[in-house]
Amino acid sequence: MAVKAVFFDGEYARDRDVTVEAVGNQLQFQGLEVPLTTWSIAGLHPIDPPTPGQPFRITHDAKPGSRLVLRDAAFIQNLVARNSSLKGGYSSKHLQQVATWTVGGLALAAGVLYVTMSFVPQKVAQILPDGWRNRIGEQVVDSLVDKKKPCHSKDGDAAKSAMVAALAQGNPNLPTFSFEVYDIDILNAFAAPGGKIVFTRKILQEAKGPDEIAGVLAHEIGHVEYRHSEAQLVRMTGLQVVISVLTGSDGGNFSTSVAALAALLRYSREAEREADAYARKTLEQAKVDPMGLKRFFDVLLDLEGRTQKPSDASASKPKETTLDKIGNVFSTHPGTEDRIKEIKPLPDGQIPVKVLSDEQWKALQNICAVPN
Amino acid sequence: MTDTTTAPIPNAPETLAFSYVPRKGLLKLTIVNLLLGLVTLGIYRFWAKTNVRKHIWSCVHINGEPLEYTGRGIEMFLGALFVFLFVILPFGLINAGASFYYGPGSPQALGIQTATFSLLYLIVFIFWGFAVYKSRHYQLTRTNWRGIRGALSGSAITYSLLYFGSMLAKGMSMGWATPVMNTVLAEQITNDMRFGDAAFKFKGRAGPLYPTYALCWFLTGGAIIAAAVFFGITAAAFEGSWLGDAWNHVFNDNGQATSSEYGVVGLIILGVIALILVFSLIIPALWAIYIAKELRTFADYTRFDGAQFKINATAGSVIWLSIVNILILFLTLGIAWPYINQRLVRFVVDRLELQGMIDIDRIAQSKIKMDKRGEGLADAFDVGGL
Repeated sequence: MAVKAVFFDGEYARDRDVTVEAVGNQLQFQGLEVPLTTWSIAGLHPIDPPTPGQPFRITHDAKPGSRLVLRDAAFIQNLVARNSSLKGGYSSKHLQQVATWTVGGLALAAGVLYVTMSFVPQKVAQILPDGWRNRIGEQVVDSLVDKKKPCHSKDGDAAKSAMVAALAQGNPNLPTFSFEVYDIDILNAFAAPGGKIVFTRKILQEAKGPDEIAGVLAHEIGHVEYRHSEAQLVRMTGLQVVISVLTGSDGGNFSTSVAALAALLRYSREAEREADAYARKTLEQAKVDPMGLKRFFDVLLDLEGRTQKPSDASASKPKETTLDKIGNVFSTHPGTEDRIKEIKPLPDGQIPVKVLSDEQWKALQNICAVPN
Repeated sequence: MTDTTTAPIPNAPETLAFSYVPRKGLLKLTIVNLLLGLVTLGIYRFWAKTNVRKHIWSCVHINGEPLEYTGRGIEMFLGALFVFLFVILPFGLINAGASFYYGPGSPQALGIQTATFSLLYLIVFIFWGFAVYKSRHYQLTRTNWRGIRGALSGSAITYSLLYFGSMLAKGMSMGWATPVMNTVLAEQITNDMRFGDAAFKFKGRAGPLYPTYALCWFLTGGAIIAAAVFFGITAAAFEGSWLGDAWNHVFNDNGQATSSEYGVVGLIILGVIALILVFSLIIPALWAIYIAKELRTFADYTRFDGAQFKINATAGSVIWLSIVNILILFLTLGIAWPYINQRLVRFVVDRLELQGMIDIDRIAQSKIKMDKRGEGLADAFDVGGL
């Protein structure tokens, strides 16, 4: 059955009348100005889905620029029945494509996230030049200690050196770090980029003995060794890029915000465990009693429990500083109890060394008492 | 008479009539686009745009033959990806590098960030016209009628520079250069426009636009002055009146305001917001007078193959179109954007005429190159359009 149709050849805008016929698996058409043309039915594509009462436009793989416009409803129906892709609209193939792209896209995003947030920061942190690390570390420390100067006293400094020397016993490969005490009335210690370890006066005063401080120091040296703060900095810089790219802004000026600094020194659980393991190993090799670190953990846990009680919240509390916000040495994550359990005493028969003499310990605790 | 069985019969030149013939399926398209957009975290929007264009284009009939949109979502996706990788990402990296090298928050890093963002804004300004031109070119090359596609034959750079200059001129002249600049821009882009190998022509002066422009400009000035005077008088009367006392009680004296005073102050704030809203509608409405005039004038200036365009747009119809569009977008939280595009196209098609005869049959296919990617910058800048 031959029907009338209109043909556009894609070369000229001229419309040409043709007669079309379905012959076997093929469509044949010709007209006054159109030589006999054969299109396979399987290679036909709809321009738009067929709409009852409206002309139906199709094209063919072999000549994608040309158009055949059919008007005969029965003929169209027959054609669509023989090639279901002519129905147009959403096919299962279309949905499959979307699904593939979505899954692929999410997998890619997860991969990119892992690389930018975990893999790359750790690698970059390892190769950062010391000049950069120191400069950034100074800035971080400056903004956290609130214009305070580090405390010094002759005996106190000697005690610091003695404690570092005690830890270096049996640990010849300690990373380069500095160890300063600041006159701050908040219980905290942290390791900034460039190996800048900072203790507050309060943490020294709350500690029951030098073993506890040596333990905390070993933990912070762990952070320095693994360059956790540098990695965190790279991570946050990456995050800033992502945010600024996504929002087209400067990333909310992350670089100046207090919240950002706070986040800078909030390590992942993974990082804390690494630092703990480093501390355990270092203490053991230096023959310093690890139970000091354990005791200090307990003290902290106790303090935390107390400050979280609502009755305390109403008490007049000093304005929260950045140093408060970064959370204290160990407290940032749940699972502190598990971490405490990991700390074991020295092996049987080993006698712990005395890290500092009583006088030295006293001098260290009072290092901020001397005005500098 | 020669042998009529072999010689092609030349069709006589004919007039062209535009009509919008709605088809079913836009609602389904809208819903599916929304769902796939959510599932793909927004990446689907290039395909969504494409599908909606396909639908709307196919509803535009010229002498019974519909337009056809042949663009593909992947082309727009690649366009956006290209801009992301080569324009946006480098800036992000420079900034991150700066805050890294000099330390977060250091004066040097902030300086570099300010500099790069100023540069980025400058680039957006300079390339805005480029984006507009490229996007128009992309859409024209993807628009078929009777198997023949359109194109822009000229340089996007030239247009971009012209566009940048026009923005400067408009700003420095407090708007008064607008009619001249818009005419120059329309002339530049319309004269580059092709359908197949046939060209559009734009010729005309900006002069006739000026009376309407002046009217809108002075009405706007008047409205702003009237609003300022109104607020001044109200504020003066407010001070010392019981309304003013209520205001003071609520905002200055802690806990002394009564509940009725809170109510009064609430009403005042609502009233001010309402006034601002009305005011922000009045100014665009005033400018609709000029927009309609410009549409009509530019249509009069445009010819295609010896035929002359006409568009019967009135200020009232432009205002109505905008208000309904804004309402639809608000009420559907933007989900119904395909309908907005449909309304915009329909607005033009319903009012467009082409007066004169055109010899369609002799128009041959365009030989102008088709870009592989589409509308990357236009998407990044959000230049508007369909």
